[in-house]
Amino acid sequence: MKLFLFFLSIFFTFLSYSQSKYTLSGYITDAKNGEVLVGTKIFIPSINQGTVSNNYGFYSLSVPSGTYQVEFRSGIFPTVTKSVDLSKNLVYNIEIAADAVQDLNEVVINGKKGENTNSTKMGQVELEMDKIKTLPAFMGEVDVIKIIQLLPGVSSVSEGGQGFYVRGGGPDQNLVLLDEAVVYNAAHLFGFFSVFNSDAVKSVTLTKGGMPANFGGRLSSVLEVNMNEGNNKQFKVTGGIGAISSRLTVEGPIVKNKGSFIISGRRTYIDVLAKALIPDTSPFAGSGYFFYDLNLKMNYTLSKKDRVFLSGYYGKDVFSFANKESDFGVQMPWGNGIAALRWNHLFSSKLFMNLTATATDYKFQFISNQDQFRFGLTSGVRDIGSKLDFSYFPNTKHKIKFGANYIFHTFTPSSVSAQSDSVVFDTGSPQQLFSHEEALYFLDEFDVNEALKFNVGLRYSMYQQVGPFTRFIKGGIGSQDTAINYAPGSLIKNYQGFEPRLSFRWMLPDKSSIKAGYAYNYQYVHLTSLSAVSLPTDIWFPSTDKAKPQTGWQGSVGYFKNFDDDKWETSVEIYYKGMNNLIEYKEGALPGDNINDNTDNLLVYGKGWAYGIEFFVKRTVGKFTGWIGYTWSKTERKFPDLNQGNIFPAKYDRRHDLSIVGTYTLNERWTFSSAFIYATGNTLTLPTSWYVQEQNLLLNYGARNSTRMAPYHRLDISATWYDKAFKIKTDAITGQEIKVKKRFRQNWAFSIYNVYNRANPFFLFVDQDGELLDGDFKLAVKQVSLFPIIPSVTWNFEF
Amino acid sequence: MTSFIQKIAFLSFLIVGLNSCSKEVKIDIPGFDEQIVIDGSIETGAPAIIFLSNSKDIYAPTDINSYLSGFISGATVTVSNGTITDTLMEICTDNLPVGFESIAAAFFGLPIEQLINLHLCAYVSTGLVGEIGKTYVLKVIHNNKTYTSSTKIENPTALDNLFWREQANLPGYGFSWAKITDSPVMGDAYRWEVKNLSDLFYSKPFQPFTDDRFYNGKTFEFSVENPMSFKDETIENQYKGYYKLGDTIVVKFSKLGKKEYQFFEKKYNQIYSGGNPFATPTNIPSNIEGGALGVWAGFSPWYDTLICVP
Repeated sequence: MKLFLFFLSIFFTFLSYSQSKYTLSGYITDAKNGEVLVGTKIFIPSINQGTVSNNYGFYSLSVPSGTYQVEFRSGIFPTVTKSVDLSKNLVYNIEIAADAVQDLNEVVINGKKGENTNSTKMGQVELEMDKIKTLPAFMGEVDVIKIIQLLPGVSSVSEGGQGFYVRGGGPDQNLVLLDEAVVYNAAHLFGFFSVFNSDAVKSVTLTKGGMPANFGGRLSSVLEVNMNEGNNKQFKVTGGIGAISSRLTVEGPIVKNKGSFIISGRRTYIDVLAKALIPDTSPFAGSGYFFYDLNLKMNYTLSKKDRVFLSGYYGKDVFSFANKESDFGVQMPWGNGIAALRWNHLFSSKLFMNLTATATDYKFQFISNQDQFRFGLTSGVRDIGSKLDFSYFPNTKHKIKFGANYIFHTFTPSSVSAQSDSVVFDTGSPQQLFSHEEALYFLDEFDVNEALKFNVGLRYSMYQQVGPFTRFIKGGIGSQDTAINYAPGSLIKNYQGFEPRLSFRWMLPDKSSIKAGYAYNYQYVHLTSLSAVSLPTDIWFPSTDKAKPQTGWQGSVGYFKNFDDDKWETSVEIYYKGMNNLIEYKEGALPGDNINDNTDNLLVYGKGWAYGIEFFVKRTVGKFTGWIGYTWSKTERKFPDLNQGNIFPAKYDRRHDLSIVGTYTLNERWTFSSAFIYATGNTLTLPTSWYVQEQNLLLNYGARNSTRMAPYHRLDISATWYDKAFKIKTDAITGQEIKVKKRFRQNWAFSIYNVYNRANPFFLFVDQDGELLDGDFKLAVKQVSLFPIIPSVTWNFEF
Repeated sequence: MTSFIQKIAFLSFLIVGLNSCSKEVKIDIPGFDEQIVIDGSIETGAPAIIFLSNSKDIYAPTDINSYLSGFISGATVTVSNGTITDTLMEICTDNLPVGFESIAAAFFGLPIEQLINLHLCAYVSTGLVGEIGKTYVLKVIHNNKTYTSSTKIENPTALDNLFWREQANLPGYGFSWAKITDSPVMGDAYRWEVKNLSDLFYSKPFQPFTDDRFYNGKTFEFSVENPMSFKDETIENQYKGYYKLGDTIVVKFSKLGKKEYQFFEKKYNQIYSGGNPFATPTNIPSNIEGGALGVWAGFSPWYDTLICVP
């Protein structure tokens, strides 16, 4: 703690050298709808100084007094140059508009020119939302998580799955944030669709390496998803109707130019279709699945210095299956609720503050009934937290951030209930685990000289497990099990540690750059999976007196170079990661073992490592754009209690991972795109031998994850047709024909998933058929595939 | 009971996700290591019986001859009850002692003529039988390797009541029902076996094994279906699983130990979740030292006859 404050004071003394400098600051917004522009570069060419607008569109630049030509470069609009006379601190808010006719090529060059080589943000990728909408969409739903799985270093869990792995780390090692609130399971049931409705999303940024100190709590990556604020100038409706789902978004001003709202909803109607296909007389009548989500956001500018935002997400999945003949039924309700309330405050033109309060609630249930038996399983997480973040811009050489986080966790890892008629089985009381998690951080991004930029930070995180809690202690055979009861609020265990972060960028004379980074992280919440396939029953649970926090470090180095006046961006990155206190279930653990026992009594701990090299080539401008990403990587685990202590590959160890994505804009009316993916097959554990006991044939499994499935590859294509942007009107006075911009716009998106219909392996199992003693017994290894070729059509509109 | 619930859970997952295509593939599964399989049991008043065989590669043929030729002979097997150590006698089907033919035929389900041409071997104790409260140590020596294990015959638990209840929608047919009071000690495990009065061997229902983790110390009733009816060709499909009014059956309700139960729990779990990707690949834990598969289990049976009348 003292060390931390010492570093803090050193940095402040460094900054106190005096000079006659003034600050140019303000907010950058889109002239069309008032949305803040994130990541816009504000650059003064004459003194070669600049800064970037933050997540709230705020920028601050301190330079010597004088008159300057200031360039505002966003990625979307043409560069705007304004003449600014800086003789005192000046608040300069700017609205950037698109010209009526724009040359696409020119825009992007001026905008994000040089970002690839310039920033210290190594291992960070930002998705361009407008580009995403033209890529092939699974079942017609544009999905941001599926798109990030196309980037190097990121691989998907399995066919259609939502979890993603970043550089060999597990699906729980990604911090997913929706408007600063943590999302635990960013997917709907079965994992085919994420919770993010692309119509409501403004920006998506993934940080895979060199995680800066303002983020923590997960080892592998940070995925920040920010929602649109809503058009604060006029009402707007956007929507789409697809083959299996539809979306509708309504946004508009609360008070023009001061406040706005956006409501976005989406619903699938597989259940309606299923009802139509399954006759009432069928034993499966009453089966069906649907989900809906709702995104809501409001913001209001209270004064020149204050702005408040309220965001919320609510999603629910309802799945039911009934077989009337065998009197068997299953229901699986699943839901996510997220809320965030934020207050931006400008203390001065140099000090920006954001205070957020967040709440997250994720719940999953599995209920099945068969005759008189009823079985239920509940799992969930509830978080309440707050964050205080400051950004301080003392001068152009330093950008300082510091702040604090706090979260109160309530975990229900798995709560089981079972009853037969009126007899309720004793499954123990539902176990809940409570804990507090806090962090303090400080970072400084500074320029040593024109070529060398550093981002140095330190994070200090703390965690306490508190009661009420019952710790079950298993007795040996013949002796009783005992339990220790902790009173509400009592401290059971605490953990804490420093998390140093460092990254730098060294710009070479030819404008290419070398970037390197190091980060050390603690992770206090965990996800364990019982099966080879990632499932909704994968359970989230917190660190306890028995389950220590996961720790990890990552080092990465990369070389970045642009070609042909930044039309091509390329990079090569190497990384190495070491992880400790990784968590898995004991060998042979079953879901029912949780009863009258703590989840962590079923766990074992070990370490892991991952290393790899990522190649990335991107074409940014022109009629033809796209990227190729290739990753070679290896990720292994070593647990003393698993696989007899031998090293085994992680479930998702993929040696090769290749993605080729391309978009061709033929003209204003047609855009075509395609995506090709190739990945080495996932690992799994299959039986190596069979034996007989009591006339039953039983299987014996080999080394963990020693078998590999066949490689995964797939081609998707899409075509989007746009209506005319203008209509021709005859001017009443002059009689001339003039072009008027249409208010109502529409487009049709056609997509084909898995064009050559490859039966990609979803999982493998050993099938037993026949009776051993009847002589017709057969053992066969079978592969199950999930998605064949799937075409889809979506009609999109806006007005 | 718990495994039954798990079975529902797994079955439903299976039905849920997978309206998809499956095809047979032949992929490389490395790491086959041949292991000895020791399948042994001892009961109150009965001799110890042990079968020895070898495990086979996953792609090895599974026709009946391969199965039958997997049995081991020529091993040295001993069982000790603390005072006596008995060396078990090897009995093979191609060299059966007089009087054993019909028993062996019924056990394997094969005609005597076929049996006497096959070399199926079992090891049977002649010098001791199972007694309640005693611990039995097993030792198997084969191919210069030694395997050991021990098991105890616990005190049997009698069922409070055994009765037949007619099914409301199926007059004249019903399940067998039992009422049990479990002792408050955690970790009691039971096996349910049943036979028609005239049968030689007992049959097992779908879930023969259960432990008291859900019902420790409680008194409750449960039903068990008729396993013999599934193999009986003369019974119509709608009546399969039920006992007919007037049937006479013998229930053998055996107590077993915690470690032995873990073998059977995982075994039935594997059998019923076979093919389920949502199940974790579980090796069935053996209670035998030395690197063998299988189990050495002591059972403590309690018998009762039930005449199926209301």
